[in-house]
Amino acid sequence: MPGAAVAAGRWPGWIRRLSTAQRPSFGRIALNGAAGLSLGFILLPLVFVIWLAFFRQEIPSFPPEGYSLKWFAAVPGQKAFVDGFILSLQVGVLATLIGLALGVPASLALVRHRIPLGPLVNTLLLLPLVMPGIVLGTALYVFQIETEIATGWPVLGSAGGLIAAHTLVVVPWVVRLVTASLAGFDRTIEEAAQNLGAGPWKTFWRVTLPSIRPGIVAAGLFGFVTSFGNLEMSLFLVGPGRTTLPIAILQYLEWKIDPTVAAASVIQIVLIGTAMIITDRYVKLSRVV
Amino acid sequence: MSTTAPEAVAGGRTGLAGALVVPATIFVAIGLIGPVAILFRYSLNQFIPGQFMVDGLTIENYVKFFTDTYYLNVLMRTVRVAVVCTIACLIMGFPLAYVLARTESRFKNLLIMAVVLPLFVGNAVRAAGWMTAFGNRGALNASLMGLGLINQPIEIMFTETAVIIGIVAVNLPFMVLTLQSVIEGINRNVEEAAFSLGAGPVTMFRRVLWPLALPGILAGTILTFILAMNAYATPVLLGGPKFQTMGPLVYGQFAQQNNWPFGGAISFILMTATLLLTVAAHLIVQRRYR
Repeated sequence: MPGAAVAAGRWPGWIRRLSTAQRPSFGRIALNGAAGLSLGFILLPLVFVIWLAFFRQEIPSFPPEGYSLKWFAAVPGQKAFVDGFILSLQVGVLATLIGLALGVPASLALVRHRIPLGPLVNTLLLLPLVMPGIVLGTALYVFQIETEIATGWPVLGSAGGLIAAHTLVVVPWVVRLVTASLAGFDRTIEEAAQNLGAGPWKTFWRVTLPSIRPGIVAAGLFGFVTSFGNLEMSLFLVGPGRTTLPIAILQYLEWKIDPTVAAASVIQIVLIGTAMIITDRYVKLSRVV
Repeated sequence: MSTTAPEAVAGGRTGLAGALVVPATIFVAIGLIGPVAILFRYSLNQFIPGQFMVDGLTIENYVKFFTDTYYLNVLMRTVRVAVVCTIACLIMGFPLAYVLARTESRFKNLLIMAVVLPLFVGNAVRAAGWMTAFGNRGALNASLMGLGLINQPIEIMFTETAVIIGIVAVNLPFMVLTLQSVIEGINRNVEEAAFSLGAGPVTMFRRVLWPLALPGILAGTILTFILAMNAYATPVLLGGPKFQTMGPLVYGQFAQQNNWPFGGAISFILMTATLLLTVAAHLIVQRRYR
C-alpha cells in the first residue's frame, strides 16, 4: 500500500498517534466479543447437559421445578453405561499402548533415517486420521468378516477386533505428535553425549527419550481420547451386549433424554477434565494441540 | 515434516531403521488398504433379497444410487450441510483462534482447555446438550416465550437448522486449534508493519494475515469439511429418523437392511465425494492465491 503509506506520512504526528492508539482498542473489543461468542457456542451444549443433570423432575423442561443430586446415584445402576465405560477404558488403554509401541519407533526411523519411500510411509501412517470414520468402520467390518471366514476365529464383535481397529486410529496421532517433537530436537546434544562416551542405547535412554517425552505424553493423551470417544467406526465393530460408552450414550439418547444420561455425561466430563489438568502439568496443552 | 536427517546417530543403519518402521507400516497397510479393497469388491457384488449377498461383478449398486432421486437428495443434503457448517466454522473460528494465538493472558492455558474439553467429551453428549435446548419446552423456547417474543414454541428440533448448529459446535474446536497454531507461527511484527504503513485492521487482515494463514485455513477447512460430511451422531440425534444424511444412510444399509453391496457402494461414494470436494477446494484456493 504505497499510497496509504505516503498519505499517513503527510498527517500531523498527533493524528497518527491518536489513530494508532484508537484503532486497536476499538477493534479489540469487537474481536474479543466475537471470540467470546464462539467460545460460548462451543461450551453451550456442555452447559445444558450439566444443568440438566441437576434437575429434580425427569422431563427436560425449562425452567426446572427444582434441583436434585439423585440422578448421580442412579448412574451406577445403568448397566450399559458402567459396562460401556469399563470396555472403553480397557480398549483405550490397550490401543494407546500398542499404538505407542508401533508409532514411536516408526517416528524415530522416519525423522532420523533415510528410509526408502519415507514420505510415502509417512503419508500412509497418517492416513487413518483423514479417513472418514463411517468408511473406516464399514471397511473394517467387511474385513473382519472375511478374516473370520478365512481363519475361523471369532473376530467380529470381539474385544481383540475392537482394540486392533482403535490402534489403527491411535497410530497417526502418535506419528504426528512424536515426529513434530523430534523435528525441533537439537542433534548436537546427542553428539555431545556420544563424545562423552555414551553408547547409542545410553544416548537414547538418557538424552533422546527424556527430551521427546512431552511429545510422547501428548501422543498418549490424544491417542487415548481418540479411542475413548470413537463412535462412528466402533458402531460397526461392537458385538451384542458389548458396547463402548459413546455408543451406550447414543443408544440411550435415541430412546430418550433425561437427567440420568446427563449425570453420566457430567461424570465423564469431570473425569476427562481432571485428566487434562493433570496432563497439563507435565506438558502444556497449548504447545501440543 | 523433514525426513532429510544429515547424519543419523545410528550412522545410517538401514537395518535398524527398517526394523523400527516396518511393524507400524505393515499394521496400517493391512488394517487400512486391505479393508478398503475388500469393501470395494463387496460393492461390486449383487444383493438378492432372501439370498443375501451373491458374488458378482456389476456396477448396479452405483447405478442404483445415481439414478434414484432419493439417494441423490441425501447426497446433496449432506454436501449442503457440510459446506454451510464449514463456512460457519471458518467465520466463527478465526476471531477466537486469533485471540487465543495472540493473548498474553495468564489464563491462556485455561482458554485452550475450554476449547479442547468439548472435543474430548464426545459428539453424543454435545448433541444431548442441544436436545435439552431445542425441545418444545426446552431452554430456547422457554426463554423466548418467557420474554414474550413468541407465543408458539418454534420447531427447531429435527430440522436442518438443528443439525447445522450441532455440527458447527462439534467441528469448531478443530478449526480453532488448527488456525491458532498457524497464527502463532506468524510473526507479530508483520502485523505491526502493516499498521505502521497505514493499513487499517481490515486491510491488514486481507493483505497480510489471511494470505499468511492460508495453509492453516485450508487445513482447518478440509478437516471440518471431512468431519461434517461424515457426521453420524449429530444428524441422528438432532435430525431425527426422517433427516437422512450419508453417514446414517450407510449405517442403515449395513445394520438394518443387511445390504452389504449397496452399503459398500454408498460408503465408497461418500469417500470419493469427500476426497473430490477436498481436492477441488485445494485447487481453487491455490489458483486464486498463487
